[in-house]
Amino acid sequence: MPDKCDKHVLKNGMIILGNQMDNVESVAFKLRLPCGESLMPEGCCGAGSCLTDWILRGAGTRNSKELVDAMDGLGLHRGSSVTSSHVSLSSALESSNLSKALDLYADIILRPHLNADQFELSKQLAIADLLSLDDDPRHKVMLNLYERFYPHPFGRPSMGKMDELKSLTADRAKDIVAKGFNLSSAIFSVAGKYDFQTLCDQLEQLFDIEQNTPRPKPTPGQAGAKYTHIQHDAAQIHIGMMTKADTIASADYYNMMTAVSILSGSMSSRLFTEVREKRGLCYAVGARYNTLKDFAGISCYTGTTPDKAQEAFDVIKSEFARLTQGVTQDEVDRAKVGLKSSLIMQSESTSSRASGIASDHYLLGRVRSIGEIKSSLESVDKSTVDNYLADNTFNDFTVITIGPKTIDC
Amino acid sequence: MEFKKHILDNGLTIIGEIIPSAQSAAIGFFTKTGSRDETPEVSGVSHFLEHMMFKGTDDLSALEVNEAFDRIGANFNAFTSEENTVYYAAVLPEYMPDVTRLWSKLMRPSLRDDDFNIEKNVIKEEIAMYQDLPQLDVMDKAKALHFASHPCGNSVLGTTESIDSLTAEQMRTYFANRYEPSNIVAACCGNLDFDQVCDIISENCGSWQSQNAARNISFSTGTLESRRDTKDSLVREHICLMSPMVSMQDDRRFAGSLLGMIIGDDTGSRLFWALVDSAMAEVACSQFESMDGVGAMYSYIRCNPDKAKEVMDIAGNVFAALVEKGVSEQELQTAKNKVLSAITIKNELPMGRLVGLGFNWVYLNEYKSMADNVAAVKAITVQDVNALIKEFDPSRFTMYSLGPKNGDNGQ
Repeated sequence: MPDKCDKHVLKNGMIILGNQMDNVESVAFKLRLPCGESLMPEGCCGAGSCLTDWILRGAGTRNSKELVDAMDGLGLHRGSSVTSSHVSLSSALESSNLSKALDLYADIILRPHLNADQFELSKQLAIADLLSLDDDPRHKVMLNLYERFYPHPFGRPSMGKMDELKSLTADRAKDIVAKGFNLSSAIFSVAGKYDFQTLCDQLEQLFDIEQNTPRPKPTPGQAGAKYTHIQHDAAQIHIGMMTKADTIASADYYNMMTAVSILSGSMSSRLFTEVREKRGLCYAVGARYNTLKDFAGISCYTGTTPDKAQEAFDVIKSEFARLTQGVTQDEVDRAKVGLKSSLIMQSESTSSRASGIASDHYLLGRVRSIGEIKSSLESVDKSTVDNYLADNTFNDFTVITIGPKTIDC
Repeated sequence: MEFKKHILDNGLTIIGEIIPSAQSAAIGFFTKTGSRDETPEVSGVSHFLEHMMFKGTDDLSALEVNEAFDRIGANFNAFTSEENTVYYAAVLPEYMPDVTRLWSKLMRPSLRDDDFNIEKNVIKEEIAMYQDLPQLDVMDKAKALHFASHPCGNSVLGTTESIDSLTAEQMRTYFANRYEPSNIVAACCGNLDFDQVCDIISENCGSWQSQNAARNISFSTGTLESRRDTKDSLVREHICLMSPMVSMQDDRRFAGSLLGMIIGDDTGSRLFWALVDSAMAEVACSQFESMDGVGAMYSYIRCNPDKAKEVMDIAGNVFAALVEKGVSEQELQTAKNKVLSAITIKNELPMGRLVGLGFNWVYLNEYKSMADNVAAVKAITVQDVNALIKEFDPSRFTMYSLGPKNGDNGQ
């Protein structure tokens, strides 16, 4: 696979990134618009969830039905997401349909109808999704965790807050689209089978608009409470916990990723072995690294029946603490080969590659090649991980529980 | 891409799809056993056994197994359904011999009592976890209601009570009966040396004794009954509808897939326009599932409990219109485009290729290339889909719903 990232900046400032892949017939693209939850005006939490539905309810010369029919007719596998920093629209498709798909997305971004009556339907769906979260405590606990862990407004929940969603109006939402869909700060990434020059020419023509100034970053406020319990008549206690870590830009990033992998990257990892395999305290337990541009943490989830919850929590906490005592050579070797394998296997998917290069560019200001990541992982050894862990302790947690009873933190 | 096949003397079949340009390789042991092969006394044993297969052999402890997989960076796991238990791993090409050897050995596990007793707790935690996932719980209970005495209604997980009373000896007996060589297909794909894979499997699995693990299969039209259960903690109404459809052995399954997409794909389908676009329900989707000798069309709808009756009236109208007028040429073409691009994308990933390859052989004893599947989808006509609607009438369904006590249950 070519390990080279194509890059071009449109006249309007939008960054185009590409990664050509051999032996594939599909192409995937992702457009990241600077309209994430942290950038929403106060009182509009959840607007992103409404917008991603509303903009598809008619655009350009097509009404809602015609637009969806046109996208489905091209066989697009569509997705949308709202993160702290971006609203993202993505598609995977057979490469021969790329040009037609881009025409449709230009209409959606530049010429959405945004009718007020359709807004009410999008809002009702967003409210219904938020209500449904009560029937999915595992998902709810993690959204609540991020909200309390990150300084406000960086952890705002993508699904919104009920009172703010209910008070959102079409005019307010229209204003958010006008300011947030700023293509001068947008990143368009593509991976798979495509011709970069043809793509850039088409995007230049489709998005021939004036350059705008980027919006200022929000000022970080306070993080939330250290422990929150949400009473719920569930079969399990769902525990979410998170502790601070370095961002992806840190020089210690690869040491940290190796340590997280040793903690929870696989079935021989410490959490899986100690919590599930040796003690049978849960079915699901896992920790992962989460990063925003300026803040990062290691989050962990487990769900366990009430009489085992305290022990599960205590064992997880002690495993985080035990990292400071260092790791074994075998653990480092296994973590490195696991990370390298995942990297290569993920790079076989056009969607994950398109997503990965855009994420790199936003977080680091550049795209790492697969070769660079592999070689950075190669330079990790037991002593570098031990040194990192000696300087970093993981004993200060933000904790959320949802279930029939509390735990002692 | 090249297809290869080898059958060991004891009946174990090895198939491979060789793609020298792939960045990775994958292998799976597809065992034709699941909850439909269980008696009530051992309900949940297939899935419990799947967990126990990771606990090692006479030479390997559970921790050593996990370490062995992780040492080669394997992306490995297993899953159990009503009729299959599949063990798989994807690796970089240089580790394919190691992972093949490891799975080949693990297919003859020790099933130790102490491992069994610890893992019982994990299984019970998994059952508790699903109780907090009503969107999955409702599907499981709908299957039980729809299939009734047909074995496809058996729960994959079993219940806390059935797992509590299960013994390690019962599991060992079940294993001996079901994991016999002619009931297992080893499938591999990607960048690999097929002869080397065959040699490793032959060396480790060639001495297994064969016996008869045949399964009785029969078709079921389902009970078409309705039932609603309540749970105070629920906020939304979760509704599952099931109607009969063709089996995996029936060539009309391609038309069934397209029909499922026309009825309830998550965008642009009939249920989408009737219920989701209008914000009557936040989710309304359908999927066709073909199984061994039997099949079903599933729909899942989630909505406000107070609107459940209205939602079901609308859904009823959608199905009635489908039966009355059939599908149009344009919606069939749209469904084909979606299915065809899904086939392309899925086949670019090692696990996507492996699952299709393995299941085709398990059910049909034949190899279907991506081009074969594309041609089969393209050949479906409006008349084919409308004939299925006429024969299986999706407007008559089994309905199971879960919601809070005060909801308007929609029945």
